[in-house]
Parts: sequence; C-alpha cells; structure tokens
Amino acid sequence: MKIVIANGTHEADFMIKKFKKDKHKLIVINPNKEFGQYISSNNKVPVICADPTKAYTFDDANANQADVLIALSENDIDNYATCVIAKKLFNIKRTVSVVRNPKRVDLFKQLGVDSVISSTYLLGESIKNESIIDEFIQTISIENDKIVITELIVDENYEITGKTLKNANIPKSINISCIFRDPEVIIPDGDTEINAGDKLVIVCKNEQHDEMIEFIQKEKVKTNES
Amino acid sequence: MNKTKSVIIGSGRLGASIATKLSNLGHDVLIIDKEITSFRKLDETFSGYDVIGDATDLTVLENDGLIKEANEVIITTDNDNVNLFIADICYYIYDVPNIYVRFSDIDKGKLVENTTIKTIYPFILSIQDFMKQREKRDEL
Repeated sequence: MKIVIANGTHEADFMIKKFKKDKHKLIVINPNKEFGQYISSNNKVPVICADPTKAYTFDDANANQADVLIALSENDIDNYATCVIAKKLFNIKRTVSVVRNPKRVDLFKQLGVDSVISSTYLLGESIKNESIIDEFIQTISIENDKIVITELIVDENYEITGKTLKNANIPKSINISCIFRDPEVIIPDGDTEINAGDKLVIVCKNEQHDEMIEFIQKEKVKTNES
Repeated sequence: MNKTKSVIIGSGRLGASIATKLSNLGHDVLIIDKEITSFRKLDETFSGYDVIGDATDLTVLENDGLIKEANEVIITTDNDNVNLFIADICYYIYDVPNIYVRFSDIDKGKLVENTTIKTIYPFILSIQDFMKQREKRDEL
C-alpha cells in the first residue's frame, strides 16, 4: 500500500516504524524541519519538509492515488484541510484524521473524512466499556484466544431467566458449563432452570463471544403489565 | 426572536468593512470573531451584533439558531484552512443558501468547485487591478 503520513511528531514516528516493517510504501510530509530530519535519519525514509495543507505539497510528494492518508497535526482544522485536498484533488482512497476536540469526530465524518480518531473519545468509550464489563462480564481466553470462558450474572429481565436450559433455545455454539448459585455450584443439564442472580460460566469460540453476550443479555419482550 | 440574515466570520479589515457596509444598507448583520479587540475595526455606524467565539465550534454557530436562519455567510478569517472548514460546514451541514469565502491560496478554491460556495481571492483582484492601472498608464 501507498501510505501518506502528514504532520505529527512521536505518533508519526511510531507509525512509520510500524508501516515500514510491513513493507508499505511511505510518503512522509512534515513541515517541521528539525523533526523531519529526525524522522528521516531515524527511519531511513525521505521526508518532504512542507505544509500538507497546500496542494502543491502533494504534487511535490507525488502522493497522487495513494491508498491511505493519515493526518496527525495537533490542529484539527489543518487535518481537515489535508484530508479534503487528499480526497478531492489527489484521489487518495482513504483519509484518516486525528482530532483533539472529540466533538469533531462525527462532524468530520459527515464532511467526508473516512476515519476520525480522537484519543479523548476513545478513552471515554473504553472507560465506558470497561465499567460495563466490570459490572457483568469477566472473560478469560485460552488456546491463543480461540476459546473464551465468560462469567455472566443473570438479570431478572433477561429472556432466559426462569427457563430451563432445554427450553431456553440456546444456540449450539454456546455452552453453559457451570452455574454458581451461592453457595452451590451446579453442573447443569437440560432440566436446570436459570434464575435471576445466577452466575453463568459460559464457554464459546472467540468469534461467537459478542453473539453469545447478546443472546444471554437479550431482554424479555415487555408485556403490557401496568 | 433572532432574525439575523447576514453572518460574517472574522472581523479583520475585510470582514469588519463588509459588516459595516451591509449594516448601513439596512441588513441584519452579525459578526463573529474570537478576539474582542477585533471589533474595534467596525465603524461607528455599524448597528448589527458582534459575537465573541470560535466559529469552528458548532455550538457557537448554532447558538440562537444563528447559522440556520442566515441566508448569507461571509467567511473572511486570516486562515484559509479555517475558512475552508467553516465554508464546508455551512454548505454540507447547514445548507446556507449563499456562502462567500476568502482564500489567499488559489488552490483552495478547487476544493469548493462543484458547490455553490463563492470564492474571493485578494491575489487575483490585485493582479486585475494592477493590469488595469497599467493599461491606463499606456493610454496616456
């Protein structure tokens, strides 16, 4: 792949190392002369020392038709300009921009930037996910992540709550191996009923993990009780 | 309540002069700049609103339905990239019917081709003016 890396400091350096290892063709544009020299000598790649928000820089860099452009400036608006130039004037297939301001993630996407990354946004999302996981789900994987063992606590709103295993329509790919029902440990069979508060230990393939969680946590269809 | 019709972004010499002109012509004018000191360039006769804020922030543009009710936006900050970004927001997100944007770099104009965004290039205007004056000299 032909990859253009515009602006950036240490993250640019990191990506260049990574992409170089994977044998991609790199075009590095950086307006900062000192940093450009550092990246160049450190990674043995040519660095075009120019402003990547100018169309002629792309001409000089021969960036036409590249597969990906990654805009890493600390200035969101400059990144936007870089991505628009890449897309509209140089037919670069995919544009990726980092943004400082997390509110701009959706906006940049609406304006046509293909991927928009905000570390603050990602951090927020990951904290959100982790707190959910801490509450309900503990997972360990074995055999190089091929098999996952998950602990899930059953909520009274789940569709499976109150059903026996054989009546719960559990997909074949999901195996409920064990149920902790304090203080008991139950090795379930088809007639074992799932109760609210049970801790299920479930074994499944890694690729079915999300599907499995979705199945277990599916909520009861609300009836018109008032 | 707010019946702003012309929004001017960037209160530099050009932005402030346009704001004053339109205001004197009786239009409802609102001018935005991130520095309060920029509004000194507005003429005494200016009777519109001035708003301090960063127009690249949607909350500033959306405040009081400002941008949604505008029927023209004139973008004249001193940064081409900022101007491009705001012009694209006005065009793609808010469907502002008339958008004028100033660019120093002529290449930036290619980025808004095939849209209704209209461009103003001080560079081209200067050349035209120079050539005109030169012609006049030759006529003498």
